[in-house]
Amino acid sequence: MDDWRLQPARDLELAGADRHRSYQRESGLVANVARFAWWSMIRASLKLLHRLEIHGRENLPGSPSFVLVANHASHLDALVLGATLPLRLRDQLFPLAAGDVFFHTPALAAFSATVLNALPVWRKKVGAHAIKQLRSRLIDEPSIYILFPEGGRTRNGSMRPFKSGIGMMTAGTRIPVVPCYLEGTFEAFPAETLIPRLHKVTVRIGTPRTFEHLENRRPGWDEVSRCLEHDVKSLAYSLDAPTTTTTTTTTTTTSIRN
Amino acid sequence: MRPPNAIFTAPLRPGRNGRSWPGFRDAPEGTGDSHLQEPIRDHLFGYQQAFAHPLSVTIVVGVLVGLAVSGTLIVALRRLISEASYADAFRRWRSWCWLVGVIFLPVLAGALWTMLAVMVLSLLCFREYARATGLFREKTICAVVALGIVLVTFAAVDHWQDDVLFFALGPLVGALIVIVGIPADRPKGFIQRVALGVLGFALLGFSLGYISNMANVSNLGGTGIDYRPLILLLIVAVELNDLLASLIGRTLGHKPILPKTNPRKTWGGAIGAAVLTTSLVAVAGGWLFRGTPVAEPGWLIGLGLLVSLLGQLGDLTLASIKRDVGIEDVGATLPGHGGLLDRFDGLVLVPPAVYHYLSLALGDSGPLGSEGPHRILTGGWGG
Repeated sequence: MDDWRLQPARDLELAGADRHRSYQRESGLVANVARFAWWSMIRASLKLLHRLEIHGRENLPGSPSFVLVANHASHLDALVLGATLPLRLRDQLFPLAAGDVFFHTPALAAFSATVLNALPVWRKKVGAHAIKQLRSRLIDEPSIYILFPEGGRTRNGSMRPFKSGIGMMTAGTRIPVVPCYLEGTFEAFPAETLIPRLHKVTVRIGTPRTFEHLENRRPGWDEVSRCLEHDVKSLAYSLDAPTTTTTTTTTTTTSIRN
Repeated sequence: MRPPNAIFTAPLRPGRNGRSWPGFRDAPEGTGDSHLQEPIRDHLFGYQQAFAHPLSVTIVVGVLVGLAVSGTLIVALRRLISEASYADAFRRWRSWCWLVGVIFLPVLAGALWTMLAVMVLSLLCFREYARATGLFREKTICAVVALGIVLVTFAAVDHWQDDVLFFALGPLVGALIVIVGIPADRPKGFIQRVALGVLGFALLGFSLGYISNMANVSNLGGTGIDYRPLILLLIVAVELNDLLASLIGRTLGHKPILPKTNPRKTWGGAIGAAVLTTSLVAVAGGWLFRGTPVAEPGWLIGLGLLVSLLGQLGDLTLASIKRDVGIEDVGATLPGHGGLLDRFDGLVLVPPAVYHYLSLALGDSGPLGSEGPHRILTGGWGG
């Protein structure tokens, strides 16, 4: 934390849903307390109801900024990934959530912003400007993004190709990206059901990478998403192997461990 | 242990450790229930007394008529002004309607609702202040200020004899804000963080909390009048003062008082508002304080001047804060006005001054609210 900044909140001029949907949003004490209660409850219920198992926690960077990417099978996914992090990081944790689902109404937007600390991604009109704002926030202040590069939940349990948005946010930066694989969330809460089932959930955290050497252009973005897709698939295929020995290397990326 | 007050005549309900809770009396045997004593219940929740004093009726009707007339004027002038001006005027007017509702209803409904409304106002104003100054990033200090605001409300509701608990909270919460800033081990910026916290609590927690404390008035100077006309007069006078200073300043005044702080605040507006507000408060006060030592021209004019001058200084206080951090408004809560604090800035310096001024003026009948009831929540706890 800085020593002191006599600097107003960036979203001072916004109110209501506009503020909740803003990428400039900054939260205070009420949201801090709400998130403490929320993540405490989520961690306890995932442990109790889904016997949550986390492998490779030592691969998580010690401090923000970084990005967690994973396969996307259910609405539990962001909660499971959030539960792998220490509670003290709750204000820096920003799940990137579908705007048309989580920010559709003002009440939903208030909940998503205050409790989940989610940032909206408008899937049908996600523009370069929005991605640029997300990238700037990641670079300028300590932030942790949870992102599902498939762009939506799988309907049949198999992983879809990664989109290039993650590359647009991280190519040419020193931000670590941590690949994760979620197992059991599809069975626990598939897209067509309304109530989660009591199914075991496992999360496997892989080795973080940075993409500093890649250009912030289309070829770099594609390389980032291709690389991360490979990492996540590797984690899925190596379920029986100890996570700490999981290594993925390509000639164009750098693996780091904190 | 039992407070020396005539109101506590009913049998006392034993609290934990055998202590008594004077706010309660035993229920009829066998019901297993308990009830607040009637005078306390009437004071805290007694909406039946809402319009007991004609000044309350006059103020409420006057404000409602003012809103109706201004609303009609805005609609009537729609064709003569630009669409943007009309939309802005209508937004402001609609915000005023909401504000009048959320201010008047709790005050008229009962003392407890008034105190809770003041607490909510304090918390919301502090939130805006913290977000405007960057203090909101210091969660521990903000938590202590919020706790202080809740404690101030508790002290007002409980109402210790001579308000000793209420007055103790000023220095104690201030000290606590300093103390919680220490363990962070971040000496750089310590003064700024702590000073902003103390200033925020002083202006928005303790100072506004005096309005809660004034809600304990149930027998003003022995006249039988409760807190309602006094608090309504205070709030309406401050807001009117702000409005008059702005209107007169635009039409008559040209020379700004403090051009760097607020170029729109002119000498003409300030003097005009001071004259009109002082006259209004003196006349209304003469009606309200009839039969008490305050009903002397000197005291009444002094009261009016106090409200007007401190109201305008409160406005300039917030303007100084805003210029310091380089913002136009402290929030966007009230469409057309900015933040809540932009609307209530005139109020931040007035309540303590008015409370102590009236307590002094009342002489043997004072201080304000000394008539009780006392220790409503804590009873005999602590001796």
